[in-house]
Amino acid sequence: MIAAGVDVGAKFVKVVILSDGKVLGRAKAPVGFDVWRSSSDLFENALKSAGLSRRDVGKGVVTGMGRKTIRLRPPINADEAVSEVIADAAGAFQLVPTVKTVIDVGAEEGRGIKVDQGGKVKDFVINERCAAGAGTFVEAMARALEVSVEDMGPLALKSTKTIPMNAQCCVFAESEVVTLIHSKVAKEDVAKAIHDAIASRISSMVLRVGVERDVVLIGGVALNPGFVVPLKRELRVDVILPEYPEFVSALGAALIATNI
Amino acid sequence: MVEEILEKFREWIDNRHEYAKTWKERTGNKVVGYFCTYVPEEVLYAANILPVRILGSHEPPTITEPYIFAMYCHLCRDCLAQGLKGRFSYLDGIVEGQSCLHLRQAFNAWRLHIPIDYAHYIHVPHGVQTPRAVPYLTQEIAKFKQSIEKWTGKTITNEDLDRGINVLNRNRDLMRKVYEYRKLDNPKITGLEAMEMVLSSQMVDKEEHNKLLEQMLEELPYRKLDREPGVRLMIVGSEDDDRVFMKNVENLGATFVIDEHCTGSRYFWTDIEPREDRLMAVASRYVYRVPCPSKDWPEFTRIKHAVNLAEQFKAQGALVIQNKFCDPHGIEIPPLREALRSVGVHTYPLEFDVTVPWGQFRTRVEAFLETLTGLEELF
Amino acid sequence: MSEETKEYPTEPLKCWDEAKNLRRNYYEDYLTAHEKGGLRWAGGAWTFSAVLAGLGEDVYGITSEPYGATIAFFKDFAAQCHDATEAAGFPRTLCAYMRNYWGSILLDKYILADGTIVNGFPTPDFIWQDHICCSHAKWYQVVKWLERKKGKEVPMYCVDVSVGYALEPVEEYKVNYIVQQLSDGIDWLEKATGRRYDDKLLCEAVWNEIKTSSLWAKICALNQAVPAPIDEKSMYSLYVIGTLMKHKPECVAFYERLKEEIKDRIRRGIAAVPYERFRVITDTQPPWGFLKIFREMEKYGAVSLGSLYTFGLIGTWEYRRDGTWAPKPLPPKKPKTREEALWAMVKWTLNKPEWAHFYQPELKTKMMTSIVKQWNVDAVLLHYNRGCEGLSLHIAENRLGLLEAGIPVFPFEGNMGDEREFDFTGTMARLAAFFESMSLKKLKE
Repeated sequence: MIAAGVDVGAKFVKVVILSDGKVLGRAKAPVGFDVWRSSSDLFENALKSAGLSRRDVGKGVVTGMGRKTIRLRPPINADEAVSEVIADAAGAFQLVPTVKTVIDVGAEEGRGIKVDQGGKVKDFVINERCAAGAGTFVEAMARALEVSVEDMGPLALKSTKTIPMNAQCCVFAESEVVTLIHSKVAKEDVAKAIHDAIASRISSMVLRVGVERDVVLIGGVALNPGFVVPLKRELRVDVILPEYPEFVSALGAALIATNI
Repeated sequence: MVEEILEKFREWIDNRHEYAKTWKERTGNKVVGYFCTYVPEEVLYAANILPVRILGSHEPPTITEPYIFAMYCHLCRDCLAQGLKGRFSYLDGIVEGQSCLHLRQAFNAWRLHIPIDYAHYIHVPHGVQTPRAVPYLTQEIAKFKQSIEKWTGKTITNEDLDRGINVLNRNRDLMRKVYEYRKLDNPKITGLEAMEMVLSSQMVDKEEHNKLLEQMLEELPYRKLDREPGVRLMIVGSEDDDRVFMKNVENLGATFVIDEHCTGSRYFWTDIEPREDRLMAVASRYVYRVPCPSKDWPEFTRIKHAVNLAEQFKAQGALVIQNKFCDPHGIEIPPLREALRSVGVHTYPLEFDVTVPWGQFRTRVEAFLETLTGLEELF
Repeated sequence: MSEETKEYPTEPLKCWDEAKNLRRNYYEDYLTAHEKGGLRWAGGAWTFSAVLAGLGEDVYGITSEPYGATIAFFKDFAAQCHDATEAAGFPRTLCAYMRNYWGSILLDKYILADGTIVNGFPTPDFIWQDHICCSHAKWYQVVKWLERKKGKEVPMYCVDVSVGYALEPVEEYKVNYIVQQLSDGIDWLEKATGRRYDDKLLCEAVWNEIKTSSLWAKICALNQAVPAPIDEKSMYSLYVIGTLMKHKPECVAFYERLKEEIKDRIRRGIAAVPYERFRVITDTQPPWGFLKIFREMEKYGAVSLGSLYTFGLIGTWEYRRDGTWAPKPLPPKKPKTREEALWAMVKWTLNKPEWAHFYQPELKTKMMTSIVKQWNVDAVLLHYNRGCEGLSLHIAENRLGLLEAGIPVFPFEGNMGDEREFDFTGTMARLAAFFESMSLKKLKE
């Protein structure tokens, strides 16, 4: 059976196509303003690349912030809409069956999810109202430092300094970055301070649900090595980085579709 | 000599844990951590226990998230973080003298999650303006004393209490004498140095601290500071041990000539008056001392005291600091500012957190200093 | 909707209008007190209001927290109050009720129970307050300061209650500390009001207060029934009568009638929520401007049965010998003298369940766990309330304790009194995820 999972995030929409439980294709595109247009275009293109059409899809599940907007509209017309928490757990459990803690850091949201031995969600926490622990903060800071987002992580890893930054609020943190820039602190040190602050914010949140191995890190920000290093340090535990971490939620949605 | 003593204060602060561990090994006695200055340290000294104030490290206290909701002040979370990180592993006990709700959480979370031999909560009354408070606190302190005796297995005699009272009173008296030198047109110590003097007293054996203070007082009259005092500032508000902030402000052409907070003058401004009933003497001091705002009602006595200090020490302006989320101090900001303004002391409010955004604060403080003196003074 | 979902009969509460009237009259009586030749007083809902009964029957009060909550319910007015308080230089992180109340004074406006705004905040003749958290006494210290700016000097008396939580037996010197303050307070009241104090009226009022809290606890205990005869959102409009006038005979009479009505509903199988299939309790005050969260929950067949807050702010409870948590029975005899009345009232108050966590979070966790077991609760929704330091105190510890006991917990941040600090959409999305994790879907979209 062909199953599809669509994850409409704050910044990107992701699609995963499964054929009898195996990944047939993945696709990702910016969400933009017209959520339905970008999601449906991506969905159709992903199917096309896999040599399929909508008719071939047996079951489909949507997840993510924009799931309600796209769920019942063609071409997606999903069978079910699930929260990111459930989708994350399903995807992570498939990739790492020994997972007990899932950490998902996306563009606007960070999530910490505890799962039981069967991959069922036991407890979860989502950052409250503040994006200090999320991808868009890295982007905003990359602009301030005049580096590309992709270079921010490697730049941070060059630094050996620790500069504590307020990790309660990204607006506060941003004002402290401005101070550092004006104090002629080296770029790599500022970059590290930013990543340390995000890691601190995420760890703080995840500690609420508790950290139990194995810990799996997913979401777009997992691709940033500058974030992964301080996260491991704050949590005092190793984290598993699956391949294509930003697609795990969409994968989870597709897996749920196979079980409908 | 003064410079060496000040350096010693700094060394004690920077190496506070090593000091406490060494003291413990040397004396074979216990070390107890306290969160608030309402703990009657006299009773601990009487039992040959070293009381040390638990303070934070100004690093984001990530580790406390499961135990304390982040809307409580950074101080209480930072204090707990130190315990959770094992930095105070040498403590034999913790004591809290009832004050604000925030520190209460740090105490209880410590009691529940960090292995500790002894934990005691003294219900220091908040109604310090009622005549009923002293007899009540006397009984609470008696209970505390009994609890210490049970823990240590040793009775605390009146002589022991006198010893404890004397060492604390001496320390207070000496620090007040040092503060007198801040009244001068050219103060003999900076605000940062004063803060380091007081902070270190909260971290070491006061017998040792007293010795250095005595030596310092002999030399202080002759000290010449290689700096212009600049604008005379007061700092008033929540607990403050942000030495970096003090230094940064004083580098802008100002001197903190006086403070009103609990890692400053509020800690040592009032002595114990001797009386036959030692516990009642101690209770009276803690009831009638300069109060934390959490206990200062229905009259604003602390604000009156702050105004007095500002006048005595000739402060030109005051930085009013509030630790973010600190209700007791936050509530008093408008009446405090109004009272200081009424005697010609202009104020500027700043909200402190675990770290402070010096860039933004610098702009504000510089502008504030300019308004106090006019531009020509700064160039 | 699942065909298996049972539908219970439901009907509105008969005494609903009576509750509304009691509350409406309360705020109007305070406003018009002087016209009737009476006195106005202001103080907290925790304050020892029974003491004021000794001054006569024409003493009308405004209790601060319920007034702050009334403002919060009317979000537009609340926003004006916040602006006014912040413009006056107070930090926005302070207690939300307090900021609302001060805002009302600064705007010189008074809001009635139905949201009608009247010009001119009615100044109290005196303040009779208690101090339980960092803000309580200072709240009215600032009220005094604000009124002084308007040229009005308002005498203030405040009783310190911070002696700890009373685990039996109560330490006498602690009760004595409070009793002495109250006794001094009575002398103060006579001077401040020029009235002679009547101890008989005090004894009656204290006994009424004890009866009120015992009755309210009994009403809450009835919610152990399945289906629950009453839901928490409705309970807010009923327990509030206790926060306004716990010492008055009208309150006792109202709770007697309410108790009988609830018993009747149970007999007839009347439910608060027709499709009840998931039972929750909450904790701390709700975000008053967004009580629709309870109606949202009902779309999942989830009913909130109450909370330690709803049960224990006005109700008084105890642990029985068999380990069950139950309404505390009345003391064996009614007080006959001033001393007896003050001792009885203080001992009773120090047993208030909502006082326990101010000192020992583990006690609150224990009580919440008992509620979960005895009320047949499926999950706990914890409001990490940024607006109240006192009731959010140790909430993180309670969460840990509940999880340790195997109870599912959904924490969410918000603010009881500041509508800017509650993200309704985000919270509902998270709640949906939580219900989903409990295999609970919406009954219908």
